[in-house]
Amino acid sequence: MDNAGSKGGLMRLKILPSSLRERRRYIKLKIISDEPIAFSDFKAAVTNVFLDFYGELGFSELSLTFINNSFDPKRQVCILRCNHKSVQKVLAALGFIQRLGDVRILIKILGVSGTLKKLKKFK
Amino acid sequence: MKFYDLHVHSAFSEGKSSLEEIAKTAKLLGFSGICFAEYFESEEKIEELKREIERISKEVGIEIYLGFEARNAKELKLLAKLRREFDVLLARGGSLKLNRAACETPEVDILTHPELDRKDSGFNHVLAKLAHKNNVAIEINFREVLMSSKESRSRILKNMRLNVRLAKKYGAPLICCSGAISHLEMRDPKILASFLTLLGLDLKEAKECLSKVPESILRLSKERRSEKWIMPGVRVVS
Repeated sequence: MDNAGSKGGLMRLKILPSSLRERRRYIKLKIISDEPIAFSDFKAAVTNVFLDFYGELGFSELSLTFINNSFDPKRQVCILRCNHKSVQKVLAALGFIQRLGDVRILIKILGVSGTLKKLKKFK
Repeated sequence: MKFYDLHVHSAFSEGKSSLEEIAKTAKLLGFSGICFAEYFESEEKIEELKREIERISKEVGIEIYLGFEARNAKELKLLAKLRREFDVLLARGGSLKLNRAACETPEVDILTHPELDRKDSGFNHVLAKLAHKNNVAIEINFREVLMSSKESRSRILKNMRLNVRLAKKYGAPLICCSGAISHLEMRDPKILASFLTLLGLDLKEAKECLSKVPESILRLSKERRSEKWIMPGVRVVS
């Protein structure tokens, strides 16, 4: 059993050594729109556009993740994570997002970095 | 690095947004300059547009240029004669006749979307050699991809990839523009550069398509408009 031996929760895998981990890149972006938008809508739109453009196999190669607690609803700024080889692919496909429901949006890339700490300098 | 978008339509031609909206969005996205590509109607309209552009350029704080997009061979001839009156001359690609005429005309700066509404790429090795000789930049139009989907998008991307390969091989300049008709269709220069990397360019070459190539077009245009200029390579020295 997966949780055998754990104290209460699921047993977690040991973290991979840094040399075997995927190299990550964080992309900070600003969503420009007339009306404020919900992060869940943005996530759904990104996923749909990426799946349309790259297909399921291509999408899996991006290792795209949304950093949930990074969304600033006031400034409409959020952070995406992908692997270091697919930064250009992610940026290119972000250009194909035109609208969230009825709201037309525009995406401005604030910066790309290898760590979340360094991303703070992009405002 | 300075980025330029030399193909944007405003409400003066087929666009939906005003000059101000587009200029403000361009500044917000990080462009140093934009060029409004309008359709030619009369010489009086050029003066009107110039005044409007100058006012907005000062108001928003961004370089704004005026360009005209020729829609057929006749219009191209007419605009080539009036070449000193405006900054950028674009030729609306798509028909083989106009694609060829544009590549053969040294006054033309940009051949826009040569693969528009076509099954083939509208551009071959002969046109690539001519474009190199006459210094006509081949445009990669982002809006064309943005507005298409599924099969047509994949066909456009395939044709664009071929055009990029030919332009690279024969040394024809390549330029990437948003081709936006609304301020919400403009794209961040980083997004446009990344898009070009999907078409077979490396990141350095992609950035050059958005900065170095438009800069050289604008520099040449400025030289061409000076009184000392006679023809490419010939100017009054004293």
